[in-house]
Amino acid sequence: MTKKIFRAIFMVAFLVLLACLALITGVLYDNFTRQQSDQLSAQAELAAQGVEDEGLAYFDGLDSGDTRITWIAADGSVLYDTDADSGAMENHSTREEFIEAVETGRGESSRYSSTLSTETIYRAVLLDDGTVLRTAADHDTVLALLLGMFFPLLAIVAAAVALAAWLASRLARRIVGPLNAIDLDSPLENEAYDELSPLLTRVESQKEQIKSQLEELSRRREEFSAVTDNMSEGLILLDREGMILSINPSAARIFGAGSASIGRDILTLDRSPELRSLMESASAGRHGEVVIERGGAEYQLSASPVLTDGVSRGTVLLAFDVTEKLKAERIRREFTANVSHELKTPLHSIMGAAELLQDGLVKSEDQQRFLGRIRSEAERLVALVDDVIDLSRMDEGDNFPREETDLLQLARDVAGDLGPAAEKRGIAISVGGSGGSVFGVRRLLWEIVWNLCDNAVKYGRDGGHVSVAVEGTASGGVSLSVADDGIGIPAEHRARVFERFYRVDKSHSRATGGTGLGLSIVKHAAQYHGAQIELESEEGRGTRIAVLFPPRSTG
Amino acid sequence: MRNKFDEQLATLNREMISMGALCEEAIAVTARSILDGDNPAAIDRVRVLENEIDQKERDIESICLKLLLQQQPVAGDLRQISAALKMITDMERIGDQALDIAETAVFMGPLEPEDAPLLGELARKVISMVTDSVDAFVRHDAEAAGSVAAKDDEADSLFTRIKSSIIERISRHSGTGEYALDLLMIAKYLERIGDHATNIAEWVEFSVTGVHKGGEML
Repeated sequence: MTKKIFRAIFMVAFLVLLACLALITGVLYDNFTRQQSDQLSAQAELAAQGVEDEGLAYFDGLDSGDTRITWIAADGSVLYDTDADSGAMENHSTREEFIEAVETGRGESSRYSSTLSTETIYRAVLLDDGTVLRTAADHDTVLALLLGMFFPLLAIVAAAVALAAWLASRLARRIVGPLNAIDLDSPLENEAYDELSPLLTRVESQKEQIKSQLEELSRRREEFSAVTDNMSEGLILLDREGMILSINPSAARIFGAGSASIGRDILTLDRSPELRSLMESASAGRHGEVVIERGGAEYQLSASPVLTDGVSRGTVLLAFDVTEKLKAERIRREFTANVSHELKTPLHSIMGAAELLQDGLVKSEDQQRFLGRIRSEAERLVALVDDVIDLSRMDEGDNFPREETDLLQLARDVAGDLGPAAEKRGIAISVGGSGGSVFGVRRLLWEIVWNLCDNAVKYGRDGGHVSVAVEGTASGGVSLSVADDGIGIPAEHRARVFERFYRVDKSHSRATGGTGLGLSIVKHAAQYHGAQIELESEEGRGTRIAVLFPPRSTG
Repeated sequence: MRNKFDEQLATLNREMISMGALCEEAIAVTARSILDGDNPAAIDRVRVLENEIDQKERDIESICLKLLLQQQPVAGDLRQISAALKMITDMERIGDQALDIAETAVFMGPLEPEDAPLLGELARKVISMVTDSVDAFVRHDAEAAGSVAAKDDEADSLFTRIKSSIIERISRHSGTGEYALDLLMIAKYLERIGDHATNIAEWVEFSVTGVHKGGEML
């Protein structure tokens, strides 16, 4: 900027200088030349008069100053010259002013010297005797004048350069100074010169625009992170190269990633074969899903490529916790397998016995035994199917009719039913407690009591003791507890005994009978009534299971 | 220009992690095949993995040489690239030896129950060494790399114990000699894999700190 201003100022100064110089030189030179020529003409007239009067004597003691006076004879030879020896001078008959004077009485001409630095002007007057008197004067040419002024001019130009430079830098500072001092945060409050206000207005409007865009951006980012931070699924965004662009807290937890993982390769978090094959399919533009196991939980990872115009721009990686789902699936599979197995076993027995009977291979005295077996196995089947139906009805959440049920009476009935089986093994069943009644589904409550007592007898010690107690609880509810002094449940099985068909004794021993659904029914029936189950057991010492019914809701 | 360089370094890093992961998988599959005894399926998988590891070695070599020639890296970058060149040799050997183990296991037949605990322990130790050394590389963690060497001593002593148990068995003239030799070979291969893992860890340490086996190299 300074340079441009400097050039402008300097050019102006220089042009003005040149113009002034040309004008002044032209006018003054012209003026001066005219004056000199008038003076010369006058001198010529004066000298002509003198020579007419006095002849050669006129020149004696004449001080002609700068003017040179030459007296030329009619043939052109020089009679006298004030500056030079007349004898040595050449003939002047060819001189322009001489010829002109001879013809018209007056003559004038001018000639430049060989160096062009001086111009000589001549005036000639014809005398009466035919001779010519000529005056001549030198004056410097314009070129010589200018040459003479060269150094002063140079000085002036130098001064102009210096002045221009100083002015330019000062001006530039004054133009730029306010610009640098502008407070861009509040452009309109600046005290700058008028020319800046359009700029400041534009800055202001752009500032507003940027601000609103930034706000919009950060709002969107907040929305995004509010969504992703609080989701339980892990979400990772990857660029085309597999670098992590964004990772939400759930994903960071699943993969054990720190805050420094953004911008790093996904493989630094996890390089399992499953994830690598997933990334490969994603980078090829295909959607993929795998299940990985991390920290005891199972996650389903799904990778979807982000496609723009068919080109993969990155990958979205989602991780769901499918531990529960897979567990439920596993239990369902086990249940199905178990049900089929449990249903098949009695059927095989029935089929076998029936075939033998049909083929007449059974002696008539054994027929009753075979028929008895068919009947008992069929009963077993019916019991099993009943149990399964009960369970599935409870699963469906069917509404059963509720009624006031005396648990103590129910326990006595059950104890009576189980009496023969218990007696066979020498087990004494005692029913006691202060008693209590529950407003519930009589059938389900019976299932609870029956299954608990049945188990206690089945897994009790020969000659042992089963005690059933129905008590009111401190919170106003009712507790039913069944305790035996039998084999107990090993610690590692306690959590699973309520699963369907789960048996501590994996051999599915038929010695004790039972469907493997008893405790599962108890659990579901208890849940149906909002009751809690407590299990205390010690291996070899016995088991105590208590069902705690909540206080009756008044509504 | 620098951008391209960073990109190439990132590619190198990714390929190295992949190769390390392939090694981990190869030896894990191999170990499972010996301990669980489902050899035929495993050996095919290991063969595929070994091929992939070899391919990765060539790829990484070419990336490294390209980087060295075109970018003339210095300091940490140079260390990382030269360490990578050394590491892939060890990784490739791990792949080869995993395949050797799988092949030997086919000849050897099922593992005798009395050998299972020791060999299993050695295999787990070696797998964890490979995992640790790759982890150390992934995290540029010199300290984790240092801990691999300590495990190598444990692996060596496990190998010695397996060897003495074999010697004892031979002196009792029980079992077949072929089985004993195969078992010894497998144990030796496992022990070698441990050594390679140690080498990798040492190169990781070098690439992070510039110190290799306790001495400045550059």
